[in-house]
Amino acid sequence: MDAATGTALYIKRFSWYRIIEHWAVAVIFVSLAATGFAQKYYDLALSQWIVLHLGGIDAVRIVHRTAGLFLILALAQHLLAAISGVLFSKWDTSVIITKCDFTDAITNLKYYLGMIEKPARCGRYDYRQKFEYWGILTGSILMGVTGLALWFPTLVIHILPGELIPIAKILHSNEAFVLIMLVTVWHIYNSIFSPEVFPVDTVMFTGKISRERMISEHPVEYEQRFGAVLSQNDDKQASISRFQVHLTDGE
Amino acid sequence: MKAVGKRKACSGLVISLIVACVAMANIAGAANSDETQRCLGCHSKQGIVIKFQNGKSETAIINAAQFRLSAHGSISCSSCHTDFSTENHPTRVFKNSKLYRIRLSRSCRHCHNDNQLQSRPVHIALLEKERAGTPLTCTDCHSPHTMTPAIGGKLLKSESDYCMKCHTRSQNIMFRDGEVVSLAVDEAGLSASVHKELSCSDCHFGFSSNEHPERTFRTMRDFIIASSQTCRRCHFDKYSETLESIHFAQLNQGNLKAPVCIDCHGSHSIQKGRTEKLLSAKRCEKCHQVIFSAYAASVHGKALTDENNQDVPICVDCHKAHAVRNPLTTEYRENIPEMCGNCHANKEIIGKYGLSTEVLKTYLSDFHGITLNFYKRRAGKMMKPDRPIAVCSDCHGTHDIRATSSSDTAIIKTNLVRQCRKCHPEASKDFPDTWLSHYEPSLHKAPLIYIIKLACKVFLIFMAIGISLQILLHLWRYASNR
Repeated sequence: MDAATGTALYIKRFSWYRIIEHWAVAVIFVSLAATGFAQKYYDLALSQWIVLHLGGIDAVRIVHRTAGLFLILALAQHLLAAISGVLFSKWDTSVIITKCDFTDAITNLKYYLGMIEKPARCGRYDYRQKFEYWGILTGSILMGVTGLALWFPTLVIHILPGELIPIAKILHSNEAFVLIMLVTVWHIYNSIFSPEVFPVDTVMFTGKISRERMISEHPVEYEQRFGAVLSQNDDKQASISRFQVHLTDGE
Repeated sequence: MKAVGKRKACSGLVISLIVACVAMANIAGAANSDETQRCLGCHSKQGIVIKFQNGKSETAIINAAQFRLSAHGSISCSSCHTDFSTENHPTRVFKNSKLYRIRLSRSCRHCHNDNQLQSRPVHIALLEKERAGTPLTCTDCHSPHTMTPAIGGKLLKSESDYCMKCHTRSQNIMFRDGEVVSLAVDEAGLSASVHKELSCSDCHFGFSSNEHPERTFRTMRDFIIASSQTCRRCHFDKYSETLESIHFAQLNQGNLKAPVCIDCHGSHSIQKGRTEKLLSAKRCEKCHQVIFSAYAASVHGKALTDENNQDVPICVDCHKAHAVRNPLTTEYRENIPEMCGNCHANKEIIGKYGLSTEVLKTYLSDFHGITLNFYKRRAGKMMKPDRPIAVCSDCHGTHDIRATSSSDTAIIKTNLVRQCRKCHPEASKDFPDTWLSHYEPSLHKAPLIYIIKLACKVFLIFMAIGISLQILLHLWRYASNR
């Protein structure tokens, strides 16, 4: 079967570059969250445990700051690759938020509430994925900037007013909260606990997505890539058959 | 001990003994009862023994003359040996001498009740042991047939009277190094002291109306150090605290100047430890003059010396009275915020001076406090900190703490940056602005930060609700589609 003609069972979604990037950031994220959490909630037994097993608060701070540097590195390469990719290699820019994402969100809300029959038809990234991507991207930039300010307060204060340090502290811990919530609740739900992917979404392991899922979740992208025109019924059909496949797989 | 006033002392002693003897003779004047005579008929003869089951035997002989003179000389044998009488001499079998003595000691308690026993500290511990199951054997210490009236008979009502016969006069002793010291006891001070109810021998162990051992000390200091050992017999809790103190460690290392009980508390005119703060602080001044004068000029010291303010901390509040630790250790340093917080986080104490009680909380939740918290719990094996983290005293000072309330914020800032630079040498003059001066952000203090904090909270709540709703709606739709 041939992917180009749109008859293969699985369709490539992510390159190995993106998969490695994802898991590298995941490891950095977990170490940052654990060491940051231990500093913010210093009185909890779990924090004490983390600090004790990492060799003391000074060691925890070294780990946190090193991981922070790695996150900044990951961010920098991501942005550099994205900018140069878009400028020179004509990369797909579908991850940019458009007006369509807002209407999609409203459409889906209506669909969830049972006001309309069909969910929104999304492209390569649906509005939820974009929300998560941009949330984590901008959040990480904010974390990097405030983190550096908290790391080198005396340097920052040479140029900027002193009040920025307590503000950076508030933003840093608050944004950490937002990011942890995004990842542990939203992302983990969407890639593990959501009944549509349970027990786990394999895209970030194999880089491939099943045809049925692509048709039901990214119909616009499917149409663009394979030149096919999907009727609303096809969407529905695909989504039903996927559930059946999923159920038989499970049994 | 070369006593200069030895002759005087001797003559005093002789007079006292004569008086005591006359008193005893009065008691002895009463003839022995028939019963006693009957008993002594046999029990004063050589060779009379009591045999125990373990094969050992003990003499059962009573020295009639001594018994007549003894405190019990006027009472009949059957008063104590209750089962015995002129007609009846039951055979008693005891396993050993110890059990026999335990049994007999019960008789003592008929007259010498617990209240009487408790008036002597030496008995208190024994009574406690008895409650715990170890029987009290009076006859281990007191020989019932020969004991003389312990407190000097009728004329000398108490042992103190007996000792004071001599020790109110200016008696001197000369130590081996030639120093001559008066042995006179300040009677007024003693009767006003916390120990006024005690007998001399409660502290001067080994001395009594019968015994007056000769002690030879090289110096007065040796004598004071040795005498301080007596305090622990009652104040064992305090004594064991001092074992952990830097003073005791110094003494152990041979520094005889290190203070012992008597140096701070005195000897005969001992007052309650914590009645007057200034007096307590002055005790430390005796050795620590420089620190005391720094303290006296501080906000705490001034309030104490000028207003006799009893809220201020004195030396022992931070350094402890008995377990005086080395204040230069990490452990001591790490305890400083709690120490200051004892008063400065306590609204009852600090509220009336218009000072914030948030100081400890804000310190503990900022970078320095969190770091300290973890350093404290590093459990020994953890990485040692590269450098000590700032605690209260690093910015505020220790003995020379000044009030920080000043209307001129610029002055505060310049002073503060000097403290910051001790650890952050690269700090610019605006560096103190990074710190919220021990205040929680509010609309009055740091309004900008307060608003940002609030906005962040609202944003977070908003987002949490949004995400949960999205997930729940998604699940609900999925369930109703199936």
